[in-house]
Order: sequence, then structure tokens, then C-alpha cells
Amino acid sequence: MRYLVPLLLGLALLAFWEIWVSAANVPVFILPAPSAIGTALVDNFAALMAALWITVKVTLLAFFWAVVSAVGLAIIFTRARLIEMALYPYVITLQVTPVVAIAPLILIWVGFDNASRALVIIAWIVAFFPMLTNTVQGLRSIDPQLHDLMTLSGASWRQRLVYLELPAALPAMLTGAKISGGLALIGAVVAEFVAGSGASTGLAWRIIEAGNRLEIATMFASLALLSALGIFLFYLLSFCEWLLLHRWHESFRR
Amino acid sequence: MNELALNAASLRYDNGFTALNNVTAQFDSGSFTALVGPSGCGKSSLLRLLAGLEQPFIGSVAGLAQRHIGFVFQEPTLLAWRSVADNITLPLQIEGHSPNEIATRLDEALALVGLADFADALPRQLSGGMKMRVSLARALAKRPPVLLMDEPFAALDELTRFRLDDDLRAIWQQQKCTIIFVTHSVTEAAYLAERALIMQSGEIRQEIAIDQSGRDGGFRSAPAFTAACAALSAALGHDIGGEI
Repeated sequence: MRYLVPLLLGLALLAFWEIWVSAANVPVFILPAPSAIGTALVDNFAALMAALWITVKVTLLAFFWAVVSAVGLAIIFTRARLIEMALYPYVITLQVTPVVAIAPLILIWVGFDNASRALVIIAWIVAFFPMLTNTVQGLRSIDPQLHDLMTLSGASWRQRLVYLELPAALPAMLTGAKISGGLALIGAVVAEFVAGSGASTGLAWRIIEAGNRLEIATMFASLALLSALGIFLFYLLSFCEWLLLHRWHESFRR
Repeated sequence: MNELALNAASLRYDNGFTALNNVTAQFDSGSFTALVGPSGCGKSSLLRLLAGLEQPFIGSVAGLAQRHIGFVFQEPTLLAWRSVADNITLPLQIEGHSPNEIATRLDEALALVGLADFADALPRQLSGGMKMRVSLARALAKRPPVLLMDEPFAALDELTRFRLDDDLRAIWQQQKCTIIFVTHSVTEAAYLAERALIMQSGEIRQEIAIDQSGRDGGFRSAPAFTAACAALSAALGHDIGGEI
């Protein structure tokens, strides 16, 4: 039922869309019928898949670096209060400054000979912050008695990290990762909009291109692929969460 | 032989609160001492001082290296993602014992607390009393000469607490370790310990030896137990202005 109901609703909406477009004679450059979008997807399959692959690469690279840098910085923050005090305002500045406004700068600095690197950096900026705050939160909310336990066992800082801090912060980190994963995709699309070029043509670039040519069906096809990618990422991360936490964490108690 | 001692020790926290004020106490090797007093009287602070988790503001602590101390917290304080066995062996793993040694000590500790059948269970599958047993086993697996316990059974129902009290007495007699047991329960202190230190406002106000006659039978109905309860109550009652 959980899967059937939304599926039926989706199919009904698609059918209504198809019928309405042909009945009301909506021009194809305003709203193409689902069948036309399907045809566009099949016709441009190779080009769209190549574009999807580029967007996937940018998204995953940005996500990967967001996770690595955020976890690293979070560990430093919880170990050294002074570093946190010094750096935190700048991290927030980076977060609140609209990335679209920084994108041209990044493009100038790193993008001329390597456009995809600029895309990854822009997407990384978007994805970084929730991962950082969630990880810091996770590391901070560890029971002080568990820290006492590690102290009494004579744990080194590395043992404390491996045996206690990382596993204890894992639920919060995975929550951050789910948000960051979605944001990395948004960041990749934004990056392509502002910094994409003929050298790296991801799905967002395809959307602009198709829009310019009034190939609205191709635009919808790209859009559908982007949504599918976002959903896939979300469920992939949810699956990772289930895999890592379902044995022991309260949130999976039935 | 004095294994543990506080010499005119004071403890002040960063916020300026003085938790302990000029406390002097000795804990003989193999003795069982209860620290009794109302909440906020400094009994947990005294324990943390002995464990080296806090440093005295003035005075000194003659203690042991932390690896020789078994500490049982108020909460079970288990790592939810580790099985019972992995929780018990965590300190041993950190201290770097050989796998054989760890396995031997694990079996020994599981047997002492009667959890041999639950080695692979996860903490969330256990009852409150069983979690506390795991916590106790984790402390015992270090084979500590000193066991510090901070109101370990306070959150449990009375029947479970009685059973754990009995088991703790048996473990103490078998292991011959020094136990310092913090509790706010007069009956628990009287039942478990050989002597009780009455604490109030960060000071030790009185030391009461508990008559051990009648230990062979049911101590809860022995006159010595009733007398100890009365003595402890009187000591506490006096300190809080005649009311209990």
C-alpha cells in the first residue's frame, strides 16, 4: 500500500496530463505531453546519459569532499575550542553568502583551464555546512560519562575517536549526509547554471541549452533525470543509514 | 595498608562551587565503604577525586593509576552499538591486552555477573538490571583492586536492587577488592558495607562502623542490620535538622 498508492496517483496524474494536453491543444513548446517527453528521452538518450554522468560525477565528488572536510573540521572543532572560535564566523560567512554570487570568482580562480573543478568547488560550498553542523552536534552530545569511561581506560585520542566519538556521532552524521547529498546535487545544478560551459555539459547545462532551442520536451526529460538522481541519492543514503544503524539505534526500534 | 586516602582535600569546580571541603579519609585495602548523604553533598565528587577524574583544589589524593580502578557509573553507560561482550572488553582492548587474555577475562566477568548467555546481545535488548550487570562486569574485567561505584543501582526497582546487592556482596568476598559505594539509601548502605561515611555539604560528618554479626544468615532480618539502619538514619537525621 505504501508504494502502490503514490504510484497509482502518479500514473493517474500522468494520464490526465497526456489527455489534457492533446484535448486542449497545448503547444508542445509550452507543455509537452508525457509521451513526447518520453520520446525526447529516448531520442537524446546517449547525450542525456553523458550529461547525467557529468552531473553525477560533480555531485558525488562535491558530496565526498563535503563529508571528508566537514568531519575533519568537526573533529578539530570539538578538540580545540580556540580554533572553533576563530574559524566559525568565517564558516558561517561562507554558508550565508549566496553561492551564485561567489561562483564567478571561483570560476576565475580555478575554472578557466578546469571547468569541472570549479563546479565541484561550488557544489561543495553548498553541501558542506549541514554536514559540519550535524557532525559537531553529534560529537558534542556524547554522554560525558562515556568520555570518563574512555579516560579511565587510558584511551589515546585516536582510540577515543574510533571507539567512542565516531560511532556515537554516526546517527547525526548520517542525518547531515542526507541533507548534504541533496544539497550537493542542487549545488551541482546551480554551478552548471552559472559556470557550466561547453567543456562540461551536465544535465543543468542541457536544460539551459534545450530551453534556448525551445526543445521543451528535452528540458523536461533532463529535469526528470535530475529528479530521479536526487531520489536515488536520498534512498541510497537512507539505505546506508539503515545498514549502519538498524541493529542498535533507537530510531530503528519497531 | 592504606590503598586510597584523601588528605585535607578540597574540590572546587570551574563555576566556583565548592563540592568538597577539607576532606580526610582512608580506605583500607579490601574494605567495603559506603558514602551516604543527601544529593549534592559531594559523595560523587569524592568518588571522582579518587578516580582521578577531578584534581583537588587543595590537599592531596593518594590513589591508584586509573587502569587499576574499576568505575561503575550511575547509568549503565554502555556503547549502544557494541554487544555485551564487546562492551565488557572495551577497556581491555584499549589497554592492549592479548586476545587470549581478553577472552579469559570476558568469561570470568560474565560468570561473575551471571550474564554468560547474553554475550552477543545488544544493550537495547536488555532490562535495566541486566544493563547494570554489564556495566559492573566491564569494571570487573579490569580485575581492579579498587571498585568505585556511584549510586549504581539507584534507578532500579527494589527487588532487582536487592538481588544486585547480594551479588555485589558475593563478588566482593570472592575478589577481595576495595569497594567504595555511593548511595543515598540508608538500608542499602547498611546492608552492603562494613562502614559508612556520612556526608553533608561537602564534608564527612561522621564515620559509622557496621556490626557484621549475623552476615551468615539473612542479614536483612539480623539485629545488626536494624541497628545499623537506625544509626545511619540518626546520623543523617541529625544533620538535616531532625527530619528524615
